Amino acid sequence: MEEKPFRASLGSGGSDTSRPDNDIRNLWTRATLSQSKLNVPLPNVCEDSDLEDSSPHSKTRRWCNEKARRDSDGGWDHGEYKDGFKQEELEDHSLLELQLRQESSLGSHLEEGDVDSKTEIEMSSSESSLNILKHTPHRAYWAEQQNRLPLPLMELMENEALEILTKALRSYRSAIGRDHFLTKQLQRSIEGLKRRRSKRLNLLAY
Amino acid sequence: MKLKQGSFLWYLYLDKLYCLLSVRNVKVLVEYFHLLDVHHNNTLNDVLFYHFLHHVTNWKRRQIMIVFNMLDWNAMGEIGFDQFYMLVCILLAQQNHLEEQFIFRHSRPVFELLDLEGELRIGADNFHMYNFLFNIKKQELKELYHDFDITGDRSSETKYQILPEIIFLSFPQQKRLNYKEFKLFTIFTMDKYQERQKTEKENEEKRKKEKKALLKKKMQHQVNVSSKQSSFTSRSESRM
Repeated sequence: MEEKPFRASLGSGGSDTSRPDNDIRNLWTRATLSQSKLNVPLPNVCEDSDLEDSSPHSKTRRWCNEKARRDSDGGWDHGEYKDGFKQEELEDHSLLELQLRQESSLGSHLEEGDVDSKTEIEMSSSESSLNILKHTPHRAYWAEQQNRLPLPLMELMENEALEILTKALRSYRSAIGRDHFLTKQLQRSIEGLKRRRSKRLNLLAY
Repeated sequence: MKLKQGSFLWYLYLDKLYCLLSVRNVKVLVEYFHLLDVHHNNTLNDVLFYHFLHHVTNWKRRQIMIVFNMLDWNAMGEIGFDQFYMLVCILLAQQNHLEEQFIFRHSRPVFELLDLEGELRIGADNFHMYNFLFNIKKQELKELYHDFDITGDRSSETKYQILPEIIFLSFPQQKRLNYKEFKLFTIFTMDKYQERQKTEKENEEKRKKEKKALLKKKMQHQVNVSSKQSSFTSRSESRM
């Protein structure tokens, strides 16, 4: 059981496809899935980019610095590193992944170019990727994700909690009775969860 | 123990090296815990705890209550998020067959959990009670107490002999382990686990090589047969 259905759950939410948020999340999901295909030396990319101190960029820089530090520590054991690789780092450098894709797609056109044109293209690609970083909605999405969990994940958690609490309510009623304040408290929580679920379903219906 | 497929915990995973959840996973787990904490005490009582475990695992009531009593180390009748997190890590370690690694990485907390009476010693009974949690088999338990009970408490004279890999006691009395002996056990178990993995990998590679060799032979045989047939047909045509 590896890093699978977290991302599957991100992509499998039933939200409306016409909303821009959902498009961003799909892009996000694809980016994290393909992170293992990175083959460009990242410290070079990081040195080229002139990053502002905003949250996605600072995360990118931090990740680059960490990778550079690990490289200099004299061992890039891919097997171990993959095993110890944390989920937040995957999401952090998916931004880089998008950057690199653009660069690699431009670079693939030059198989036997001359050096000057190569460097010009690299500069323009890093600039264009910077512009893309500045203007894409990823920043807003990142800011939101700092405080909130993805909706499909919340749905899964709430549905499961609802099932557990409904069974617990039966035990409460049989053990301490319907009128006990703990039973009533549990009942209120269950009703709250049900209301949230029905709200979500109504939103999806629209 | 199997986690229920499609349940929330089923989607979580441990870092394979440290056998812990990532920060993001912990954040999600906190939210989940708060959903179950209907009385807003930052705790789960025994009823909620039972229904949670009953929903996500295939454990029986007796096993669930054993785990609850183990985690309720203050005897408050409730467990907080720290204990809940520990439990989730244990469940995920079992689910992903990382028990040896988990016990090796977290030998101190595991020892403290098993030491129910707080005597800084764990007897065979403790292990036996919790072997469904850590998947320690009977044979391993026997070896554990035979090989690692160095001090052999309740015996003033202890004679032991150090062999290359095994330290054993000549006159074991009441077999109980202190923390150091338990730590030794985790180290040796980890070594065994790694050796087992190595041999499994080697066996797999051998099987793959053998398959390839067989395939090659078959291909060659087929080529030979077809070349013979073609030479036969060409000869018969030339005669005609």
